[in-house]
Amino acid sequence: MNFNFKKYIFNITLNAYSLSVIYFLALYFAGATPDEETTTSGSFILNTFAIFFALGTAAEVLLGVLKIKTLGEQLFARPGVPIIQSNAFWKTQLYFILLLTLVASFLMTKVSIIDLIDESGFLGAMRLFKGIFSPNFDILPKAILAIIETIFIAFLATFIAVPFAFFLSFVGAKNIMKGPVAFSIYMALRTFLNIVRSVEPLIWAIIFSVWVGIGPFAGMLALMLHSIASLTKQYSEIVECIFDGPVEGIKATGASRLQTIRYGVVPQIVLPYISFTIYRWDINVRMATIIGLVGGGGIGTMLIQYQGQALWREVGCIVVVIAVVVWLLDTGSAYIREAIK
Amino acid sequence: MSTETAKEVKREVKLEIKNLEKTYDNGVQALKGVSQKVYKGEFLAVIGLSGSGKSTFLRCINRLNDPTAGEIWFEGEDIAFTKGSKVSMTRSKIAMIFQKFNLVGRHTVLSNVLMGSLARTSFIASMFGVFSSEEKEKAHKYLALVGLSEKAEIRADQLSGGQQQRVAIARALMQEPDVLLADEPVASLDPALCHTVMDYLKKINRDLGITVLCNLHHLDLVQDYSDRVLALKDGLKVFEGESSEIDDKWFKEIYGEEARRVH
Repeated sequence: MNFNFKKYIFNITLNAYSLSVIYFLALYFAGATPDEETTTSGSFILNTFAIFFALGTAAEVLLGVLKIKTLGEQLFARPGVPIIQSNAFWKTQLYFILLLTLVASFLMTKVSIIDLIDESGFLGAMRLFKGIFSPNFDILPKAILAIIETIFIAFLATFIAVPFAFFLSFVGAKNIMKGPVAFSIYMALRTFLNIVRSVEPLIWAIIFSVWVGIGPFAGMLALMLHSIASLTKQYSEIVECIFDGPVEGIKATGASRLQTIRYGVVPQIVLPYISFTIYRWDINVRMATIIGLVGGGGIGTMLIQYQGQALWREVGCIVVVIAVVVWLLDTGSAYIREAIK
Repeated sequence: MSTETAKEVKREVKLEIKNLEKTYDNGVQALKGVSQKVYKGEFLAVIGLSGSGKSTFLRCINRLNDPTAGEIWFEGEDIAFTKGSKVSMTRSKIAMIFQKFNLVGRHTVLSNVLMGSLARTSFIASMFGVFSSEEKEKAHKYLALVGLSEKAEIRADQLSGGQQQRVAIARALMQEPDVLLADEPVASLDPALCHTVMDYLKKINRDLGITVLCNLHHLDLVQDYSDRVLALKDGLKVFEGESSEIDDKWFKEIYGEEARRVH
């Protein structure tokens, strides 16, 4: 099996990407950008993809025939397979693609200095800043109560997530799941967790606020789900990094598989687990604030209410409370994590 | 020849390995058909260069590696291809110590020794880390045997290399094994500490009657401690005999022409 799949997929995608960017940039600078009606039609997108992937493949074949060392070859070179001809083409390719992407990003982002220094816009922002920087501390007790709610939401989400993540972390660790059956379970779990993790907690909060109604419970559920997925991944990585020695030592005494995990693996992972858990709580407090914006309860919900009424001095007070709590937690958790290393 | 046959008749065979082969997934052929009888109560040294297959040889016996072909006869049963709990049972009777000790560093010395009793501890009790007072007594007894009684409550990773290896020996003894496999037990120790560890191995071999198979690098240690020697080269057996029979001719045969003995 000498066919280097990764290299070809990478190169073809890269070629298709660069050629299409060149094409559309050329159209843009020539003032011939196709109108929106054309570009948003399904067939246009499909055709463009098909054409540029065909061109990308052709380019890859051509580069291969000319024996030019491409970026893909540099990245995915197989050990033992000698590189036929070494030249600097891949470096030029790398810089060229970076430049293309930078130009395209500027155009896509619609970067405009004029908007940034526009007077009325600037004055509006200043008004907002003025409000925020002269906070109205009359609502401080209310804000403190709200942030306490946020901290507890985050704590409960973390607390419930830990036991789930603890057990799943072994199933999600490659060095534990050896053998064909175990490996397919591992792959299934990893895929599932990646999907859960790739959906932002904000989206989960929206889903749960429909499910259980707007409020702290929905926010907690969203954070819990995200925490299970994230913690499992982080825990699994710790399990994958353990030393094999003690595991082998226990195995050699005739201990069963679970006993081997209990005595060979667990002692090695406990402290890093605690450290990651504290960090996750810290992250969850910050996330709970954001989730509150879509109705997950706590300080976020309070913030969005005042923001909606353009009460900037009250918003300022809430921002101060959030900043203080986040800073305290951040520092505190860093100290604790340092201490248990 | 006749004397050797007479000896075989007289002594009980503890382990009989027949045509043992091991090919790793990456294609490396570590063992190419090694046969060896191990007699009850003997101290058998296994020697050879790095990569000669001696480590694989030991690790196949307690099934830390699965052999590719061959037979391993132990207590009237071929254990080369057993599965599941049978493998654990074999391991509990054939203990092993390692070059890097393989202790659980964060646990105490006593706890490490107790881990040798896991195979006979009930699942629930072992999950909660509960060991009977009987087992604890035994653990103390074996710690005393390796001269580490006063270190019982210290974390294992705070001991010196030599002491850690002695804890590993106590853990192995805790299994109450018939056979002890020692994979380069002194290779990562200070030469000065080598003899302490080797002395303990010899002691349990002589006093407890445990059969010892020991991989060794140093020829002097082979001659000082072992009864018999098995030499491997490129996965094949090139010599078997009394330790005293290893002379310079054999030494060159085993280690290659350029090798020189270190004294």
